[in-house]
Amino acid sequence: LAGPPSPPGQDPHGWRVPVDCVRANELCAAEPSCSSRYRTLRQCLAGRDRNTMLANKECQTALEVLQESPLYDCRCKRGMKKELQCLQIYWSIHLGLTEGEEFYEASPYEPVTSRLSDIFRLASIFSGMDPATNSKSNHCLDAAKACNLNDNCKRLRSGYISTCSKEISATEHCSRRKCHKALRQFFDRVPSEYTYRLLFCSCKDQACAERRRQTIVPSCSYEDKEKPNCLDLRNTCRTDHLCRSRLADFHTNCQASFQSLTSCPGDNYQACLGSYAGLIAGFDVTPNYVDASTASITISPWCSCKGSGNMEEECEKFLQDFTENPCLRNAIQAFGNGTDVNFSP
Amino acid sequence: AAFGLYFPRKEYSENVYIDQPAGTPLLRIHALRDSHGEVAHFHLCQNLIISRARSHENNWFQIREKTGLLYLSQSLDREDFNMLSVGNWMSLSKVMLYVFLSSHPFQEKECDSATRTTVFLSLINATAPACSSLTARQLCFTEMDLSFHIKENKPPGTFHQLQLPSVHHLCQNLSISYKLLAAEGMPFRYNENTTGVSVTQRLDREERERYELIAKCTVREGFREMQVEVPFLVNVLDEDDSPPFLPNGTDTADAVVEFNRKEGTVLATLTVYDADTTPIYPLESSRKKYTGTIITDDPWISETFRVEHIFDEIHFSPNGSQVRGTQHEYKLVLNKSISVTEHRSFQLDVLVNDTEFHGPERSVMLHFNVSILPVSIQFPNMTYQFTVNRNAERFAQIGKICIENCMKFRGVNITYKLLSPNVSCYPVSILQGREDKYGSLYVNDSSVLRRPECKEIQYTIQATDRQSRKHTKTLLTLVLEGTLLKKEEDCPDSCAVSKHHAECEECGGLGVLTGRCQWRQGSGKGITTNYSTCTPSIKTCPDGICDVIESRDPAVCPQDCTSGNIIGGHGKGTGNLGIKSGHGICYCFPRQNCYCEKDDIKEQLCDDVCKTVI
Repeated sequence: LAGPPSPPGQDPHGWRVPVDCVRANELCAAEPSCSSRYRTLRQCLAGRDRNTMLANKECQTALEVLQESPLYDCRCKRGMKKELQCLQIYWSIHLGLTEGEEFYEASPYEPVTSRLSDIFRLASIFSGMDPATNSKSNHCLDAAKACNLNDNCKRLRSGYISTCSKEISATEHCSRRKCHKALRQFFDRVPSEYTYRLLFCSCKDQACAERRRQTIVPSCSYEDKEKPNCLDLRNTCRTDHLCRSRLADFHTNCQASFQSLTSCPGDNYQACLGSYAGLIAGFDVTPNYVDASTASITISPWCSCKGSGNMEEECEKFLQDFTENPCLRNAIQAFGNGTDVNFSP
Repeated sequence: AAFGLYFPRKEYSENVYIDQPAGTPLLRIHALRDSHGEVAHFHLCQNLIISRARSHENNWFQIREKTGLLYLSQSLDREDFNMLSVGNWMSLSKVMLYVFLSSHPFQEKECDSATRTTVFLSLINATAPACSSLTARQLCFTEMDLSFHIKENKPPGTFHQLQLPSVHHLCQNLSISYKLLAAEGMPFRYNENTTGVSVTQRLDREERERYELIAKCTVREGFREMQVEVPFLVNVLDEDDSPPFLPNGTDTADAVVEFNRKEGTVLATLTVYDADTTPIYPLESSRKKYTGTIITDDPWISETFRVEHIFDEIHFSPNGSQVRGTQHEYKLVLNKSISVTEHRSFQLDVLVNDTEFHGPERSVMLHFNVSILPVSIQFPNMTYQFTVNRNAERFAQIGKICIENCMKFRGVNITYKLLSPNVSCYPVSILQGREDKYGSLYVNDSSVLRRPECKEIQYTIQATDRQSRKHTKTLLTLVLEGTLLKKEEDCPDSCAVSKHHAECEECGGLGVLTGRCQWRQGSGKGITTNYSTCTPSIKTCPDGICDVIESRDPAVCPQDCTSGNIIGGHGKGTGNLGIKSGHGICYCFPRQNCYCEKDDIKEQLCDDVCKTVI
């Protein structure tokens, strides 16, 4: 649906095509009425919950006026310049609009239109062989080799590996914060031909699956002393703009759907894998393979539903979007097998 | 009542098609009561919420206030569809409605009641399908799981209707019947006339918290018959209706303070069980609901101790089925470090209170028998005697000074000091790390060792407790022995520089005990902690710890202390200091790089040419 970035306005269908929020903010700033309302709204939202905010007449008016501005429909791109600033602008409007207690939140990112097949095409060019044909090889090892042959991939990969395995002191195993940041750089700046091959390689033996599990250095980026409750984890994530956005993006693109053949929204595997990779080092909701099993793929963030009280059903639902998600599982398997659904635009 | 009326489901869903006529019923919503006699009133929020798009005034949907039947009050035409689809990126449009609940007729049409449920309506971009094109699954159930929650201890009532109002309306010539398959004795009943499912008695979560039934649907069309079965789940929601109790009746624990007197020390733990669940999220509010308070008038006690409360989910099995409960642990913790002179014993009572339980046994009393024993600051009954080789170099570690039980102490700060003797021979000093419980005796001035008039030197050592200023003394005798070796020329001042066995043992260096460095022969297998290296003393270097003496000069033991580059196969030590493991032989140039490498060049034997030259 989304073509190249267009100026704000109407597309041929009569729909407003979203601009990115940084640009929308500039457009708003150029317009005195918009910019003053936006300032008002930001003050309204600062440190207050939605209900007290909406009780205020001035805040409500500001929100209504802004619904007509380009800020209202704006989106962000993953890995764009000023991504964090863009997301801050997005949530500064949308925190006032959503109830804040929705189970699934809409993604602030633009929809992904490329397909997995694009990646396979590129992957076979640089590897010089079709990964699907060579069944004896260790695909995860091949992926590491391919990464090491690319300067950018090699640099950022060794960057995060050394950061994530650097021991700080006898009690502090590593700096989790720095490790997450380095991982984020790797997944944001290295093309997905390389990163997906490392993350979603298909395995026939345990050594390969263990290598796959170790890709993100889980001892630092994933595991922790205790397993927190998943709802607690989600709550912590939602206090951070970047984590909240990545989680919303995962929910938008990987939410299992009955309406499609592949169980993925719009049968788009690429979008789901992209959101999954975007969630890695999204602070504490970082997902990973729970074991080195080759038979079944189980993915989970580092949390459990123990201690959920009356919210156990909701907690299980949140967790199952990782552990028992047919869309995510199909997408990972499709990538490993080098297959994509036939797609005609 | 705390709860009032409530919805047995958080979410409902249904499909809406283009041009469905006004009056089409969509779905039925139920409410359950908190007390007898309550009457439910349903009300719809007059806003449609569309994901990521602006909300829209609701012109199409209404709910019957008394029955909870949601229906189309106006048909949605294609124009309405396009309007509602704006901003929806997905091919499928979903709109959201909030349904509110009250025990009184709604006065103001506002959307701010706390009790609400969400209805998701999928807008299908097509006219309603013909009944013959629908599968049995679609005719019988919606996509959403049949999963409900019912609060314990509440009056029975109807909470679901199996028949789909929209399908019933659309496909009137089809016969669709339901059955609820439940094991014997389950507290649910299915009414064939209304297709309503009701709970028949008050539920008790502590008895059973999950019921798994099966809803079976039969579609008959002429002679054809199709059947669909789906799970029908009921979760029982918990309320605080159980008092705390003590496992095995244990309400007393001993808490002894002796060598470990540090702030934060856990002295004893007592456990309290509760059959109710306690959410760990949000944590602070659960802590507040279950309190543990020290009962005392003594300000010293309340300053010195605190109670820490942690809790964890455990399982009980009242009658075969597992239900969740809570284990609360109350830990008696030192709130500040206790002086070594303190000596008292008393009973400390902690009152545990389940604040949300409304019954007489809402609290239990825990008892801690606290004994605070004094510890004495004294040296063991002997005097220290160390022999020091005259060839020892500066920073050579001679021995450790430790008062009785010093290694057991925590939270006691002992300082060791050498009282200067009245003679001029004064070769040694004491150093102590920040957290170290002992003092390390080392050579501070090696020239004194070489002076012939210094033979046997007597010192007094004093150990002082920093907090109480209590101190103790003992005598230390140093005996100098050995004959002076001639110093090799061209030797580096650090043992670590030597790369080979032979040159290592020929030379001395900072920290050596007998004038010569020592060679550690490693295992030679890969990158190992047991790598080959040259060191002043194998006992202290490399041992993986950059101790207080080694850290005084980087030439003493760079293998433990270097923060510079390490070239070759290696693993770094804790805090990026030192070489934890290395490949082959590791050697260092102090203040510069370290190298770890396999020594492949075998020392050449004297060959024929060499012999000729000689």
